[in-house]
Amino acid sequence: MVDYEPAEHYDRVTRAWALLMGDDLHYGVFDAPSDPLAEASDRLTSLMIEVGGLTEAGPEGTDGAPLRVLDVGCGTGGPASRLVRDHGVDLLGITPSAVGIEAATARFAAAGLPGSFEQRDGTDNGLPDASFDRVWVLEASHLMPDREALISEASRVLRPGGRLVLCDIIRRREIGFRELRERREEFAVLRAGFGAARMDPLDLYAAHAEKHGLKVLTQRDISEETRPTFAAWRANAEQHRDAVLELIGPDELDVFVRSLEILERLWDDRTLGYGIFAAEKVG
Amino acid sequence: MPSPRSTAETLVRDFLTRINKDASADLDAPLYADGVGLDSLETAELSALLEDELGNDPFSTADVLPQTLREVLDHYGADDAAAETA
Repeated sequence: MVDYEPAEHYDRVTRAWALLMGDDLHYGVFDAPSDPLAEASDRLTSLMIEVGGLTEAGPEGTDGAPLRVLDVGCGTGGPASRLVRDHGVDLLGITPSAVGIEAATARFAAAGLPGSFEQRDGTDNGLPDASFDRVWVLEASHLMPDREALISEASRVLRPGGRLVLCDIIRRREIGFRELRERREEFAVLRAGFGAARMDPLDLYAAHAEKHGLKVLTQRDISEETRPTFAAWRANAEQHRDAVLELIGPDELDVFVRSLEILERLWDDRTLGYGIFAAEKVG
Repeated sequence: MPSPRSTAETLVRDFLTRINKDASADLDAPLYADGVGLDSLETAELSALLEDELGNDPFSTADVLPQTLREVLDHYGADDAAAETA
């Protein structure tokens, strides 16, 4: 029996994904299709930093204390390391994956960076109210089906004036039951490759945010800029084929490569895409 | 020979086992969130499975999706025990 739950899924494939998707384990924002993946991935992180206001000073009255940042779905800590290294934030990363915690902790230790990582659920994080200046959710929300709980929890732990910044795969149009049934094999391949994901429109993120005391600052579709990511991942699959086969075997590599073709079709027919979103805690 | 309703119940419970859901769920438990927990893709897969095996299915023929296992089974005929009692 295959288990599509996020933690188990991540545990199985994290190491292989680093070879296939790059160290940051996320999409890229391309100025041109020929941009190197690492540069494009970094550009997505930069965009998150910009709309999330991560370059701003710490909260008023804290005498220059760093921004306290909660990284929800921190993966192996790639983007988090940049936040700490370049912007000096005080970081707590959370993920349901034990392997992710181990990898992120090791990454920070190797780089001599401060920061902590804990195994927690982003939709029920158990952290104190009003204890963070930023909540950062980079490409993790699609694996948390209770989207409203994720945003409600983010709002709860933010201080007034704090900011939620999030980017992820989005649904750009309604997919009716009949269409889903007809295309079920495509979606089943995506589930096998990337876990039990659910994509929502950017408007739904905004609606949840407004409902839970956040004011939307930015809501942007960046589907076109992220589209070349698939070609870059395909090139990585060819380049690192032997190493990936050793880690996950031929069936999973095949699923990954087939997923890329399916995602390109879904991007091109405007079913799926990519969005970025930021909202401020009112108070 | 098992009735279509009985075959459908076996198919549904085997399917739930395969996708790691509660195969012993009550007939009146909700099929989706806060119940058996089928997501939309799993529902589509169940719909196709039932059509493949039984020639039709209640998910693609009805205007409204069935909400419980009992509603799925009712598509294939009355409950055998209840019919005998009536």
